[in-house]
Amino acid sequence: MLKNYIKLAVKVMMRKKYYTILSLLGVSFTIMIITVFTSFIDQIIGENSAEPNRTHTLILDKVTAYNKGKAESGGASIHFLKEHLKSLQSTELISFIAKNSYVSFQNQKPTGHMVVYADQNFWDITKFNFEEGRPFRAKEVENASRVVVINIKTKEHFFGDSDATGKELTIYGKHFKVIGVVGAAAPFSMAYGDMYFPLSLDANPNATMGSITGNYSAMLLARSSDLQEVRKELRSRMRLLNNKISGADSVKVYAFTPLEQFAKSSSYDDQEPEYGKTAIMIFVILLLFMLIPAISLINLNMSRIGERAEEIGVRKSFGATSSTLVGQFVVENVILTLAGGLLGLALAVYAANVLVEIINTFDPLFKMPSDTLAINWRVVGLSIFSCLIFGLLSGVYPAWKMSKLDPVFALKGGQNND
Amino acid sequence: MKTQITIFKAGNPDLNARPMIQLTNIDKIYRTKTIETIALNKVNLEIERGEFVAVMGPSGCGKSTLLNIIGLLDSPTSGELSIGGQQLNSFNNKKLAAFRNFKLGFIFQSFHLINDLSVVDNVELPLLYREGVSGSERRKRALEALEKVGLRARTKHYPSQLSGGQRQRVAIARAIVGKPEIILADEPTGNLDSQMGEEVMNIMLNLNKTEGTTIVMVTHDEHMASKTKRIIRFFDGQQIN
Ligand SMILES: Nc1ncnc2c1ncn2[C@@H]1O[C@H](COP(=O)(O)OP(=O)(O)O)[C@@H](O)[C@H]1O
Ligand SMILES: [Mg+2]
Repeated sequence: MLKNYIKLAVKVMMRKKYYTILSLLGVSFTIMIITVFTSFIDQIIGENSAEPNRTHTLILDKVTAYNKGKAESGGASIHFLKEHLKSLQSTELISFIAKNSYVSFQNQKPTGHMVVYADQNFWDITKFNFEEGRPFRAKEVENASRVVVINIKTKEHFFGDSDATGKELTIYGKHFKVIGVVGAAAPFSMAYGDMYFPLSLDANPNATMGSITGNYSAMLLARSSDLQEVRKELRSRMRLLNNKISGADSVKVYAFTPLEQFAKSSSYDDQEPEYGKTAIMIFVILLLFMLIPAISLINLNMSRIGERAEEIGVRKSFGATSSTLVGQFVVENVILTLAGGLLGLALAVYAANVLVEIINTFDPLFKMPSDTLAINWRVVGLSIFSCLIFGLLSGVYPAWKMSKLDPVFALKGGQNND
Repeated sequence: MKTQITIFKAGNPDLNARPMIQLTNIDKIYRTKTIETIALNKVNLEIERGEFVAVMGPSGCGKSTLLNIIGLLDSPTSGELSIGGQQLNSFNNKKLAAFRNFKLGFIFQSFHLINDLSVVDNVELPLLYREGVSGSERRKRALEALEKVGLRARTKHYPSQLSGGQRQRVAIARAIVGKPEIILADEPTGNLDSQMGEEVMNIMLNLNKTEGTTIVMVTHDEHMASKTKRIIRFFDGQQIN
């Protein structure tokens, strides 16, 4: 049956070219927008080859110190992190990192570089693909060795096509040996950097003893998928500090995965993320994206009922039930929208590149890597899923209406056979 | 579906003993806000198994309404209808659809072929709604039906590429592909010139003779009607002979 439906759907599409093109345009444009939007979100929260542990790596990037009723928030100081995040039961690995930026000049043309100071654990929590060389090791972090790992974009900027490993990079007037080249991380990720230096090279004045807030964040790789465990342990650690730490009566730390952070954007609880609201919000946004094109496709489909009345009458005369007809018309519509969706996906690849280029012209200093909004299988899956929803949304009602046509009336459709 | 197939199976001696089509006190009244049209008025009619009857009468006298009611496409306002010995008043829509599929074949004045489908796909259509008929079986039976109407050579054509007479022959092939016991034809030759009409009429006569198919045909043409065994005349929703 399905095979026949598909065959007929293709025939109907070929026959009614004007209708087909109009529908395909509407659907593909919608799916294009949804795809670019989801690939953007995916860059912010999704796992990828450089960060396969992203959904259970918590980023601790905010500390609040309460002192005599006043609250002071910011990043953490390296001292605070090292002192109070030692040997957590719920985590497998912890990495401390700080981010900075550096502007280089070539022929008086400035280029911005994202600088990351990290420890050796950073390379174990992430799984960067090393195009050349290797990460820095514990010894090099300990000894403050003048080494640097750069990403592919930075390599091309400074060294062009030739290998960079073993060469020297001069930053802030100091010389560093390039020991590795990695692919680019997702640009909105904590792990994104154009240059990675050993933590010990950071000459950050905030690293002074005693202070709580500073420039540092921690990446905590959770032991289990129950991320609340980590936060529970962190909370109990912080309770130990009540009235025991200089400069604060109590301290709160915030650690969430990017996904949780995203989910928190619509929640009121600052301790734990509330997924429900965000999921609803995203669903509503997706529906809104689809609503107007879906309504116009419904309209288009409704306007074609008369055109297909004769067919409906014939099919009913020869034994089609209303439900088989609903099946037929819904399948037809879903096939149409899927075709539009595939077109939309292709458009999205192109649109994503254009978008990155536009963003880069607005921020010429820090250019995003050109494959930033690369569309992965997860995004493709979601787009096709949206497409199916769209097809059902726009197909079911007209199909139901059509299937309810009275066969005698339908056979007269336009033509009076008296 | 399986149980329905057994219900509709021919050969049950009790059912075979009764008339193929039996209408008892059938009324059909169309009501709109302003007027009430009595399309059929206390119609009592029996058509035997294997009969070929012509229904005649002036335009608007209720011939199509009668055919639609026998064809289960429309329901009477009151009265009883039995087909193949089976009382149909209690059938739900799904059962009626299956009954139409197994028992009935329709031929219309304006052919009503689906233009998006090729000739052979049009003919296969009734078998699509029958469970357990494979694609190759459908194709085989459609080609057989086309053979019977002399259109074996036009299977890949589309309706728009055929003459009126050829289209009506495709429609006949579609009506007989499921081997129904009853063919209902509403002015099948009404849109055809006399030669093509003659061809179509001969196919139906042959069908009635060789397969014993019961045929009810509405026509305006006395000449065509005279070739059948019985003419039922209608006037103002009532049978007059
Ligand atoms: N759907 C309908 N609504 C109202 N009146 C109808 C409808 N269908 C048929 N009629 C009326 O019923 C009568 C019989 O119609 P019909 O059976 O089509 O006549 P015939 O086929 O003999 O020309 C006519 O007066 C016609 O106007
Ligand atoms: Mg009529």
